[in-house]
Amino acid sequence: MLSRTARPALRAAAAVPTRAAAAPAGVAGYATLREINDRLKSMNNMKKITNTMKVVASTKLTRASRAMEESRKYGETSQEVFEAAETKVPEAEEKKSLIIVCSSDRGLCGGIHSGLSRRIRKLFAEEGSSDLVVIGEKCRAQLSRSNPQSLQLTFAGVGRNVPTFADAQAIADQVALLPTEYTDVKILYNKFINATSYEPTFIEAFSEDAITQSPNFSAFEVEEESLSNLREYSLANSLYWALAEGHACEMSSRRNAMDNATKNAGEMINKLQIQYNRSRQAVITNELVEIITGATASADM
Amino acid sequence: MSAAWKAAGLTYNRYLAIAARTIRRSLKEDKRIIAERRGESELKFAKWQNGKASEMKNVASENAAAMAQQSS
Repeated sequence: MLSRTARPALRAAAAVPTRAAAAPAGVAGYATLREINDRLKSMNNMKKITNTMKVVASTKLTRASRAMEESRKYGETSQEVFEAAETKVPEAEEKKSLIIVCSSDRGLCGGIHSGLSRRIRKLFAEEGSSDLVVIGEKCRAQLSRSNPQSLQLTFAGVGRNVPTFADAQAIADQVALLPTEYTDVKILYNKFINATSYEPTFIEAFSEDAITQSPNFSAFEVEEESLSNLREYSLANSLYWALAEGHACEMSSRRNAMDNATKNAGEMINKLQIQYNRSRQAVITNELVEIITGATASADM
Repeated sequence: MSAAWKAAGLTYNRYLAIAARTIRRSLKEDKRIIAERRGESELKFAKWQNGKASEMKNVASENAAAMAQQSS
């Protein structure tokens, strides 16, 4: 909702420089004075909006990063099995891979969504395309423009709140229900490095064949039947991890983006204020000169 | 040995989700409300074929339908 209200204001800000260039400084003092005043007001409103978004994002960030820490434990524990078993993606002749992209529905948060899309495009350019499952509207819009043929499933409705495990489970189920058998499944998400840098990273989720073929797997004595359960559950775990970490990245990135926007708005307000004062003074001086010349002219007669 | 839930066509995740929901519902009133928020999901999804998206559908109901179909 906030993002929608911010849009017209942003557009107005974009239109500002052209109008300023059209009216050279100091001509028709009154008109520009009012114009500058209007612009000042709208900039002030925008600053307020971006500042509020920043505050909201910061409070959400604390919750999101807590969820991230917790989900990381889940993800890492479930990956531990595969690490111990030394599971690798089998070198199959015909690879059929699936990539799950974890973005979200909301924009106005810097370049984290386009970072994911760019990573996918780079991967496709290097290794040829594979099938895609996209979570979140933003990446869906970007990838449906460049790779509409690869898309298999798209999800919407994530990112409003901290992602829940129920979300991850539902997604994992839908992925498992896809008709094609994939040799490997990868999850692409934004890895939270620190508050200002994020990196699109892959998590591997293995297929049943890959698990059974892993060298140390016999140590675990898993029954044949529960193997598919393990696979599904570990996919849900990894997805939950990826979603939670992606969510934290988004919030932190939005906070930074809004912080910058507020700063820029402040700078622009300062500039406009100076311009406003200057032209106001010019108008006053002009009027004074007119009055004085009028007065001296009439006094001489 | 095949478990009853497997015969009913449920996936392991679905089985877990149902078990979790049951536990959440058996909590005390005040704790239940907080816990049930964790089980909510507003996911919607669309299937794509040849570059075209189908209609958006609710994930939860669609999942249930697909699993009912799988049951034997």
